[in-house]
Amino acid sequence: MPAWVPPVARYMAQGLEATLLLALACSLASVALGTVLGIAITGELPLLRRVVRLYIELWRGLPLILILFFAFFALPAAGVRLDPLEAAGTGLTLWGSAVVADNVRGAILSIPRAQREGALALGLGWLATMRHVVLPQALRRVLPPTLNLLTSLIHGTSLAAQLGALELLESARRSIQRLVLEAGQPHSLPIYGAVMVVFFLICYPLVLLSRWLERRLKV
Amino acid sequence: MSFGYALDPGYVAAHLGELALGLGWTVVLTVIGFLLGTLLGLLGAAVRVARVPLLSPIVAAAVEFIRTTPLFVQIFFLYFGLPDLGLRAPGFVVASAALVIWSAAYNVENFRAAIGAVPRSYHEAALALGLKPRTVFRRITLPMALRLAMASVTNTGVETLKNSALMVAISFPELTDTAVDLVAVSFRVFEVFTVIGAAYLLLTAAFTWLMRRLERRMAWPV
Repeated sequence: MPAWVPPVARYMAQGLEATLLLALACSLASVALGTVLGIAITGELPLLRRVVRLYIELWRGLPLILILFFAFFALPAAGVRLDPLEAAGTGLTLWGSAVVADNVRGAILSIPRAQREGALALGLGWLATMRHVVLPQALRRVLPPTLNLLTSLIHGTSLAAQLGALELLESARRSIQRLVLEAGQPHSLPIYGAVMVVFFLICYPLVLLSRWLERRLKV
Repeated sequence: MSFGYALDPGYVAAHLGELALGLGWTVVLTVIGFLLGTLLGLLGAAVRVARVPLLSPIVAAAVEFIRTTPLFVQIFFLYFGLPDLGLRAPGFVVASAALVIWSAAYNVENFRAAIGAVPRSYHEAALALGLKPRTVFRRITLPMALRLAMASVTNTGVETLKNSALMVAISFPELTDTAVDLVAVSFRVFEVFTVIGAAYLLLTAAFTWLMRRLERRMAWPV
C-alpha cells in the first residue's frame, strides 16, 4: 500500500462519520416531520391541507442543491446562525420531509375507502380511525419508498461538500489538496473512486432491502 | 422584514441578462441529458431484455452502480479524477456526459420495466401468427412499451433538469451556479433564489406539459 494512503484514509474516516451522522439526523427528522405532514394533507382542515400541499410541491420541485444553498444563505439573513453541516441538514430535511409526506399521502389514499367508512360506522373518530385502521396498513406500504428516500438522503449528504461541510466528499477534496501541496500528486482518481465505492457499499443493502420488501408486499 | 434585510427587486432586474444565460445553459444541458439519456437507456434496455451475451451483465452492473452512487460524486470523479489518466474534458462536456450517463442508467430500468409490463399474450399471439421474434419485438412489444414508459421517462427527465444544478460543483455557469455567484457577492439571497426557484418550477411544468402532449398524441384509441 502506498505511503500516502493511511493518513488519507484516517482523515476520510472522520468525513464518513460526519456523513453517516448527517444522514441519520436528516432521515429521522424527515420521516417524523414528513409523516405528520402526510397525515395532515389527508385530514379534514382545508387550509392546513393547502399549506402542506404547497410545502410538498415547493421542496419536491426544486433542485436539492438549491434548497441547501437557500438554507445556507437565507437563514443567516433571517437571523439564524448555522454552520455548514447544520445548514445542509436543514436543507436535506426540508426536501426529505416533503418526499415522505407525499409518500405517506399516497399510501393513506391507497387504503380502500371502505376501511375508513367501516371504522367511522363503528363509531371511531378521525384520530382513532387513523391510528387503528388506516395507518397500520398505510405505513407498511410506505416502507419501500421510504427506504429509497433514505438512499437519496445519503446521496444528498454529499451536496453538503458544496457548502464546505466536512463530510466524506469534502474530506476527499481536502485530502487531494493536501497531497498536491505536500507531494505534488493529487491521486484524485483513486480517492474519488473510493468515495463512490463507500457510498455504494452503504446504499446497496438499502436498495436490495427495498426491492425485497416491494416484492413481498405485492404478493 | 424585521431582521434588517430590505428586499431589493432592482438587483435581480439588473442581472437578468446573466440569469437568462444561465437558464439557457440549464435548458441545453437538460435537453442533451434527456434526449441522449433516453436513447442510450432504450439501447441498454434492449441489450438487457435480449440478454446479449457479455454486454447484458455489464450494462446491468453499470446501471446498479450508477444508480447506487451519488451523481454529485460521479461529477467529481469525471471532472477531477479522470484527468489523472490524462482524460481532461471541458466543463460542458463533463456536465453533459454526467447527465447523459445518469439519466441513461435510470431509463434502462424505466424501459425494462415497461417492456416487462407488456402482456405476454401479445408476444405469444404474434409468435403464433408466424412473426419472427425480432419482428415481434420491433412491431409489437416495443411500440407498447414506449407508451407505457412515458410517465417514468418524463420523471427521469424532470430529475435530469433538477440535477443540472449540480454542475455548480465544477463552476459550469448554468442557472444555479450563476445565482450562487450573484448571491455570494451581493447577499441578495431572497430575491435571487425566488426568481430562479420560480424558473425551475416553470421549466419543470413546461417540460411535463410537453411530454403529456406527446403522450396523448402517441396514445392509441382503446
